[in-house]
Amino acid sequence: MGFFLGIDVGSGWTKAAICEEDKLKSYAIIPSGGDYKKAAKEAFDIALKKLNITAKDIKYTLATGYGATMADFANDALSDISCHAKGINALFPNVRTVIDIGAQFTRVINVDKDGRIINFIMNEKCAGGSGKFLQVTARILHINIEELGRLSLESKEPVEFTTACAVFAESEAVSRISEGARPEDIVAGIHKAMASKIITLVARVGMTPEYAITGGGGKDIGLVRAIENELRSKAFVPYEPQITAALGAAIFASSK
Amino acid sequence: MNRYFAGVDIGSTMTKVVIFSGRIEATIIGPTGPEHRKLANKVMEEALNLAQIRFEDLSYIIATGYGRINVPFADRQITEITCHAKGLHSLLPTVKTIVDIGGQDSKGIKIKDGKVVSFVMNDKCAAGTGRFIEIMADSIGVPLEDMGRISLTAEKAAPISSTCTVFAEHEIVNKLASGESIPNLIAGIHESVATRVSAMVKKLTIEQDVAVTGGGAKNIGLVKALEKKLGCSVIVPPEPLITGALGAAVLAKEIFEKYEREGQMPVRSSCGLQEAKIFS
Repeated sequence: MGFFLGIDVGSGWTKAAICEEDKLKSYAIIPSGGDYKKAAKEAFDIALKKLNITAKDIKYTLATGYGATMADFANDALSDISCHAKGINALFPNVRTVIDIGAQFTRVINVDKDGRIINFIMNEKCAGGSGKFLQVTARILHINIEELGRLSLESKEPVEFTTACAVFAESEAVSRISEGARPEDIVAGIHKAMASKIITLVARVGMTPEYAITGGGGKDIGLVRAIENELRSKAFVPYEPQITAALGAAIFASSK
Repeated sequence: MNRYFAGVDIGSTMTKVVIFSGRIEATIIGPTGPEHRKLANKVMEEALNLAQIRFEDLSYIIATGYGRINVPFADRQITEITCHAKGLHSLLPTVKTIVDIGGQDSKGIKIKDGKVVSFVMNDKCAAGTGRFIEIMADSIGVPLEDMGRISLTAEKAAPISSTCTVFAEHEIVNKLASGESIPNLIAGIHESVATRVSAMVKKLTIEQDVAVTGGGAKNIGLVKALEKKLGCSVIVPPEPLITGALGAAVLAKEIFEKYEREGQMPVRSSCGLQEAKIFS
C-alpha cells in the first residue's frame, strides 16, 4: 500500500496525478505559466490536499513532459510518450492509437496491448494542428476556449479555410467575419482545418482501432467530432483527457 | 500622341498601379484594405492624376495579383507570376531567377526572355513570407521599415529554432526577456525567413542574375541574409514592389498592339471608373 505521484509539466499546463497502487485517487491541473518549478510544486500540493495527505505519504514520484526536469522533487523522469502510452492503456486497454493534442505539440502514438510504444510521431513544427490554433481562434472571436466545442456543434455551414496555417487562417477568419460569417461557422471551419492537419500525422504513423483523443484538444467536442468525421469512426475520450500522461507516470511510479 | 496602358496589382497587403506608355508615366502604391474595389479605384485615380491623363486615355488595362478579380474596370486579368516575369524582364533583362517575398506568400520564378519557365510558391505557411517579419516586428516593437537597418548592427544572428510563426513569436519574446539584443534577434528573424525561402527557391536550378522583389526586397537585412543562403549576390530593382503592376502594364501594351497589327480591337471592360464606384 502507498501513494504514488505522476507529474506532467507541459508547455501549457502542469498536471499532477496521485495513485494508490494503480488506482487514480486525486489530480490537479494548473497553467504552467512562466515558472515551471513553481507550477509543478503547486499542482503537487493541490493534488495532496484533495486527498488529505502530505508529501511524506508519497512513496515515489515520476516527472514527465516538456518541463519534467523542473519538478526537482521527483525521484526520476520519463518521456511523455512512454507515460502517455501507459496512461491510455490503464484507461482504455483496447486503444491502440492515441492522438494527443497539447498546447504546442500534437503527437500520435501507437501502443501495444500492454501499453508499450510501437511507434509515434510528433509535430512541434507547426501550430496548425496544435492547441495553439484553438487559442488563436478563441482570441479573435472574443470567447473562452472552453466554449469553442459547443459553438462548433451549432454550425450549419462551416467556413472552408484555404489554409491550415494558424497565422493565415487568422486573417482569413477576420475577412470572413467582416463578410458576415457566423462565429459557429468560423469555429467549425477551424476545427475542420485542424482535423485535416492532424490526420496527415495519423496517416504517417498509421492507425489501428480503437483510437483515443487526449490532451487539452480532447476537451473540445467540436475538434473531436471533426477528427471522428475524418477518420470515420468514434474516438475514446477519457473523462479527464489532460491527465493521461500524469496518470501513466503515477502508474510507472507505483511499479518502482 | 502617346498611348497609355495601365497595370493594377492587388496584393494581399499592397495595391500597386503603373501607367505605361513605353516608359513608366506614373506609379502609385497604397495599402490593400478589406474593400479591394474602392481601393483599386482610388489608387487608379491617383495614378491618373500623377500621369496627368484621364481614365478615357487608357487604351487597355490589365489586373493581376491575389485580388485581380476585384478590379471591375480592368479589361483582362493575368496571373501575378506571368506579370512579375514580364515586369522584371523589362527592367532588368539579364535576370534569370526572381525571388519574390510578398506579404502573404513567397515565390521563386525562373524566366527566359520575359516568359515564365518554372516557378515554386509558398502560400500555405506564414514562415518564409513577409508576414513572419511583420509579426516579429510587431512583437519586438520595431517599425517594419526599420528592421533591415537595425539588423545590420547585429554582432551575431540569434538562432530562432521554431519554424512556425506562432511558436517563433513566443521564442522571440522569451529571448528578449532573457536579454538577447534586438539587432541580434532581428538578424535571426531575417536568417529564418532567408533559410525557408532559399530552400524553396533551390528546388529550381538557380541561374544568375538573381533579382529579389516584393516588400521583402525593401529590407536590406533580409536581402543580405538571402545572398548568404543562396550563395550569390542579388539585384534589387529600384522600386521592388511594382514589378507585377509594371508587367501587367507592359503586357497591356503588347496585347493591345498585337490586336492592332491584326487590324482588330480587343474587348474592353464595360465598367468605367465611375461605374465601378457605384458597384462598391
